[in-house]
Amino acid sequence: MDRGYILTNNPLVVEKLGPGAPVEFLECSYKAVLEAARDRIHQGAKLLSHPLSGSVKPGETPYKSVILVNGKGDVDEQSLALIENAILACAKFQQRCDRYRPAVDLDCRLIDWTLLESALASVIV
Amino acid sequence: MKLEIGNIFIKDIQFAAEAKIADGVLYVDKAALEKVVLEDETIKAVSFDIAKPGESVRITPVKDVIEPRVKVEGRGGIFPGIIAKVDTVGSGKTHVLKGMAVVTAGKIVGFQEGVIDMSGPGAAYTPFSKTLNLVMVCEPVEGLKQHDYEKAVRLAGFRVAVALGELGRNIAPDETKVYETCGIKEGIEKYPDLPRVAYVQMLQSQGLLHDTYVYGVDAKKTLSTILNPTETMDGAIVSGNCVSACDKNPTYVHENNPVVEDLFAQHGKTLNFVCQIITNENVYLADKQRSSDWTAKLCRLLDLDGVIVSQEGFGNPDTDLIMNCKKIEAEGVKTVIITDEYAGRDGKSQSLADADPAADAVVTGGNANEVIVLPKMDKVIGTLDYVNKIAGASEETLQADGSLVVELQVITGATNETGFINLSAR
Repeated sequence: MDRGYILTNNPLVVEKLGPGAPVEFLECSYKAVLEAARDRIHQGAKLLSHPLSGSVKPGETPYKSVILVNGKGDVDEQSLALIENAILACAKFQQRCDRYRPAVDLDCRLIDWTLLESALASVIV
Repeated sequence: MKLEIGNIFIKDIQFAAEAKIADGVLYVDKAALEKVVLEDETIKAVSFDIAKPGESVRITPVKDVIEPRVKVEGRGGIFPGIIAKVDTVGSGKTHVLKGMAVVTAGKIVGFQEGVIDMSGPGAAYTPFSKTLNLVMVCEPVEGLKQHDYEKAVRLAGFRVAVALGELGRNIAPDETKVYETCGIKEGIEKYPDLPRVAYVQMLQSQGLLHDTYVYGVDAKKTLSTILNPTETMDGAIVSGNCVSACDKNPTYVHENNPVVEDLFAQHGKTLNFVCQIITNENVYLADKQRSSDWTAKLCRLLDLDGVIVSQEGFGNPDTDLIMNCKKIEAEGVKTVIITDEYAGRDGKSQSLADADPAADAVVTGGNANEVIVLPKMDKVIGTLDYVNKIAGASEETLQADGSLVVELQVITGATNETGFINLSAR
């Protein structure tokens, strides 16, 4: 199994996994995390987790974490299709999470973390 | 496997000092049920309320909806592996309190949703405006983590449903239905000319508030497998999810799955209903690959002619849906898929996050982004504190006159992907 890394804008992921974990923290929006993942995919990376994990939609949560693995080969068509569709889906939802109270923001971080955690449980290290 | 379902029609619910069912009226002993709930020390308090069809009542945030049942003959008990001991259910006789539901409500996370309006325009969009609802709102002890609170409320709902179902043990049912499936060889001999059809049910399995349990096992940790469809009627599958309530299957839907019901209605007439195949919707892509491979392999092994595939949720599960569809079709088995749509508020956007030419027979549960105005109700069970934060709501949701402007996705069951409600699109 290839060792992957996590692209995230969720501070809780950094906190939970601790120093030294393969996490790249980006201070950016949900959509920008997806766009960063798309850039990596164009450079040969593959998605290991689904970019639209969770039923809390783009716009309803500010946080997104995806697992990628670097590669040097051709662009992975499946990863590219998934990430492009995920970026397109962002436009379908109303932006409202910027008005959440702090407690709700923490809940958004928690849900993103649990979705990621469920994928990490499947990674054979 | 043969299961007899005895429906006891419940025409009214009332609080009373003694719990019983008499002349179609369910009398609920609130104090006794409170004890059942408070067995769990992580629940500080519980309040019960009754909501009836036609009343000016809004229930929110809804977590689960459960139909009380009791096993009166045959192996096992209701909710095996969760409330009853692990044993194979789905045979013998089960009594059902028909026409009512236990609704669990309470805030677990701040953006949670799930609205049931008992009257007004919103009532048409939820199947649970038509049931007599015993609503329980559980309050956690101070500092309880969300995972533990979710579990506590989930299990408390099942305990209450089982306690109520027990009241129907010795009541003569008003209606009896028999469901029977054959063994593989028996079915081929009995119905040699009928197409062999199975139901592939995809189960939410992504994490907190996105989980489903099968005989007590977290579905994300399972491989695709076979169930006898009558097992689900005894509570073999239960819900642990509630985010984006429109297209999640509450436990009530698992107990009364309309795909199962309709396939049984045609069993032995136009088709041979062979079995139910359950599969998950994990976040990790290799899990999707494995589960869909496995589902397609089972379809081939069972020599099926066709399957109906139902999805649960949006986005991530769209990929599982298309993977299942493509791979099953590649095995020479025809598919019809049931989904819902997120086509934007104007209905003009791409409906699913994935697609394939093999998916050429699709039934939709409607557009979850469609906007609806829910007028103010006289009474709210639960709380409206979070209504601006729920999925499908926006900062303008709560109007000055108390009405809500929301997308259908906030309404429990509005675009259900088993077809549990009549909404669709053309």
